[in-house]
Amino acid sequence: MASKITYASEMEMPFSPVSSGDMSWNRTGTWRYIRPKYEDKTPPCNAACPAGIDIPMFIGLVGEGRYDEAWNVIREENPFPGVCGRVCFHPCESHCNRADYDEVIAINALERFVADQAPPLEAGSPVRGRREERVAVVGSGPSGLSCAYHLAKMGYQVIIFESLPQPGGILRVGIPSYRLPKDILDKEIADIQAYGVEIKTNARLGGDLSFGDLEEYEAIFLATGAHVSRKLSIPGEDLEGVGSGLDLLRDINLGKTVHIGRKVAVIGGGNTALDAARAVLRLGGIPVIVYRRSREEMPAFDEEVSEALEEGIKIQYLTGPTEIIGTNGRATQLECIKIELGGEDETGRRRPVPIPDSNFTMEVDTVIVAAGEEPDLTFLPEDIRVEGKMVSIDKGARTSEKGIFAGGDMASLDRTVAHAIGFGKRAAISIDCLIKKRDVNSVLQGVQVGENGILSMAKYLSEVTRRRSPHVVAFEDLNLDYFEHAERNERVKLPVSERIRDFREVSAGLTDGQALKEGERCFSCGVCNGCENCSIFCPDLSVITDGGVVKYRINYDYCKGCGICIAECPNNALSIEKEAK
Amino acid sequence: MKKIHIPKEEYMVPGNLACAGCGSPIGLRFALKALGEKTVIVIPASCMSIIVGGFPYSAVGVPILHVAFATAACSASGIRASLDMQGDRETTVVAWAGDGGTFDIGIQALSGAAERNDDFIYICSDNEAYMNTGIQRSSATPYLAWTTTTPVGNPKERPKKDIMAIMADHGIPYAATACVAYPEDFIRKLKKAKGIKGTRFIHLLSPCPAGWRIASDEVIRVARLAVETKVFSLYEIQDGEAYTINYQPKGIPVEEYLNTQGRFRHLTGEEMAIIQENVDHQWSRLLKRCEG
Ligand SMILES: Cc1cc2nc3c(=O)[nH]c(=O)nc-3n(C[C@H](O)[C@H](O)[C@H](O)COP(=O)(O)OP(=O)(O)OC[C@H]3O[C@@H](n4cnc5c(N)ncnc54)[C@H](O)[C@@H]3O)c2cc1C
Ligand SMILES: Cc1ncc(C[n+]2csc(CCOP(=O)(O)OP(=O)(O)O)c2C)c(N)n1
Ligand SMILES: [Mg+2]
Repeated sequence: MASKITYASEMEMPFSPVSSGDMSWNRTGTWRYIRPKYEDKTPPCNAACPAGIDIPMFIGLVGEGRYDEAWNVIREENPFPGVCGRVCFHPCESHCNRADYDEVIAINALERFVADQAPPLEAGSPVRGRREERVAVVGSGPSGLSCAYHLAKMGYQVIIFESLPQPGGILRVGIPSYRLPKDILDKEIADIQAYGVEIKTNARLGGDLSFGDLEEYEAIFLATGAHVSRKLSIPGEDLEGVGSGLDLLRDINLGKTVHIGRKVAVIGGGNTALDAARAVLRLGGIPVIVYRRSREEMPAFDEEVSEALEEGIKIQYLTGPTEIIGTNGRATQLECIKIELGGEDETGRRRPVPIPDSNFTMEVDTVIVAAGEEPDLTFLPEDIRVEGKMVSIDKGARTSEKGIFAGGDMASLDRTVAHAIGFGKRAAISIDCLIKKRDVNSVLQGVQVGENGILSMAKYLSEVTRRRSPHVVAFEDLNLDYFEHAERNERVKLPVSERIRDFREVSAGLTDGQALKEGERCFSCGVCNGCENCSIFCPDLSVITDGGVVKYRINYDYCKGCGICIAECPNNALSIEKEAK
Repeated sequence: MKKIHIPKEEYMVPGNLACAGCGSPIGLRFALKALGEKTVIVIPASCMSIIVGGFPYSAVGVPILHVAFATAACSASGIRASLDMQGDRETTVVAWAGDGGTFDIGIQALSGAAERNDDFIYICSDNEAYMNTGIQRSSATPYLAWTTTTPVGNPKERPKKDIMAIMADHGIPYAATACVAYPEDFIRKLKKAKGIKGTRFIHLLSPCPAGWRIASDEVIRVARLAVETKVFSLYEIQDGEAYTINYQPKGIPVEEYLNTQGRFRHLTGEEMAIIQENVDHQWSRLLKRCEG
């Protein structure tokens, strides 16, 4: 740094006034009364992702063609990008700021794209340093697998006990392969096993093994899902030709031969009903979905309903079954009653009210009941507290019994794959805290993304990187001058005629070109993506872009606090602070 | 996202004396990135005389000659002649003057040099008034804008002088407009100018937070709005004849530009409508010139 030049006398001064030093002695930083600082903020998509994926970070990498790194960013939080990129109901997209500009980013499709590029992991993939403590996980659904994955990466010895012959939970035995091909699931489970997770199938807690067998483990994570189909409680439910949606899907998914008739009534409006109906269609039956309320109230994801309708499946709304009528012990008719919607019930949905004397019958040879599922908690020891047919847990996924944790469908009504994955992560952090004797409540507080309890494993594992303010970036916070309108890149779906012939996957992935273009559309809300506008427009050469944890630094020796860097940041990744006096 | 790519090299050091948020050092920094180390700059009296630092210091890593207010062009002619005599064809001579120094007091020297087609690049960094001496109107000040010599109630009733047309009619090989909010366009034009012999003229729009009555962080945004509203268009003219528009503006209503600035705060709706008409007229005139 140049210092001030002092001439002892006029004689020392040059004959003509020529500069011999530079201006860097002049610390213009003293002029400043406001101070810009780099501060990443919370992207709305990230704050809405139950699995806590750092979405702008991975999409930014996709936009640069760095697919492998993008994959790793997703997998810091979620071991199932290929699964979620297909079946997640993507609340991230409903919160995307791009909605106010043109169309939301195809986050779900990008996630799948990234996963589809990734090669399988090799067994013995590196973990963060081996630990001797052993943890048992019960149930190999997304919740159990996610917990096992995170714990194994932390170095723990993890074993999963699964009652069925194959791992995966609902991903394996619920969701049919036209939405989630089995090889995708196999690959991602194998990737989890690559970190040393052991999976014991045909091992049912409460049958093949007991709680006593699990005493040697440091902690137990229960994630046994909700697999008991709710009954309709109408006459005729035990006739031949009547079965549950979940049983049907399980049999299909495990490759058993199933016998279904031609005229099939599927009762319910959730994912199970929709998947059962679509599976029936693919097996040659003609399904009719019978649902008590209207489309708006259907708990199934909207896209699933649309796809079913595209495939020509009839949905009989505002219709409630009253009796299954049989001949010689076999179901032949379904008696229903018409329904109108009354006032709101405790779930906020409008209450179905039967219209007197509106009964009618439908000819059927099969009735599939898909009116919701409940957890089977009969195997639990008595001292574990249960509430409302679910295991009760606290913020740290802890049950009332020390060392026993629970999550996923058995402990929550947020029954989605992403939530299940989030629960697994929460339990992994909580178990790590138990073992390391950390106060889990304050730890969880510190690793939140936004304010809705979404957790970041990246934050948990390294305190320094990607620190972000909890402020969730709003549309108005962005500088839109750096964006151009661009169409959303959609994935192509098979034509209906081809789709319904068998269980082949309905949606194709994005192409390379589409993914790149889609990646570039991302606003990267609150996350610096290295565009360098701050440095380009700095009148005082006070933005230093020499890398480091945060990409850029401000040289406060010279920054005059004009604020151009903040204003020209497209992503709202800088903030302003009053200069201390 | 539109990412801006500009050369990494820096030829300035921090510590300059510009007000916070001033467009001038931003423009100069871009210019040097385009022209490189082998550049000599002539600066007549203007804010830039102060910004670059006083004797015996400089914030700029290339030689600068400070000259009298009216003499940017003739000083550049002289330096060029001297370099030529020394056999130095490599060094680019640049005159960097304000709008007062170009549109008004320096126009005689500039016109003379352009007529002789003297070999240098003249950059007029236009902040639309005599800012260094306290915001007096120049012939580059926009119609009806407030300045200390056109106070509210005593408006500037003449439009901004069309310096580009004047320069083009000298038949010089290259003239172009540029704006500090569009660094890639500016840098491309300077690189192109560097490869041409003769008088090359760049009219650079560079907002002044103090004089335009805007916050220091708004300089780039307001400059961008000037372009997007067609108040200031980005184009180039080859050999005084061939006009090319380099950026298709969004054509946002001028009101949105005027409303960002305190110097236009007194305008009535009617006056804004007149300004919109003028802008539309200027734009159609430009389009006609592009057609040839
Ligand atoms: C048909 C269907 C379709 C769905 N589609 C979607 C969708 O598209 N998108 C979405 O986000 N969500 C969907 N869901 C919801 C989602 O699948 C669940 O929320 C999620 O799978 C719950 O994960 P989990 O790990 O808690 O439980 P599960 O996935 O149910 O896994 C529990 C596992 O525990 C095992 N188990 C049970 N009891 C024992 C025991 N005693 N001992 C050992 N192991 C045991 C089970 O066999 C099972 O493998 C769907 C659900 C269904 C039923
Ligand atoms: C002959 C002469 N008259 C007046 C001045 C005082 N003076 C110095 S800078 C300046 C204003 C320059 O305005 P402009 O050229 O637009 O440049 P800006 O300061 O706005 O960048 C004036 C009037 C002078 N230096 N010389
Ligand atoms: Mg001026």
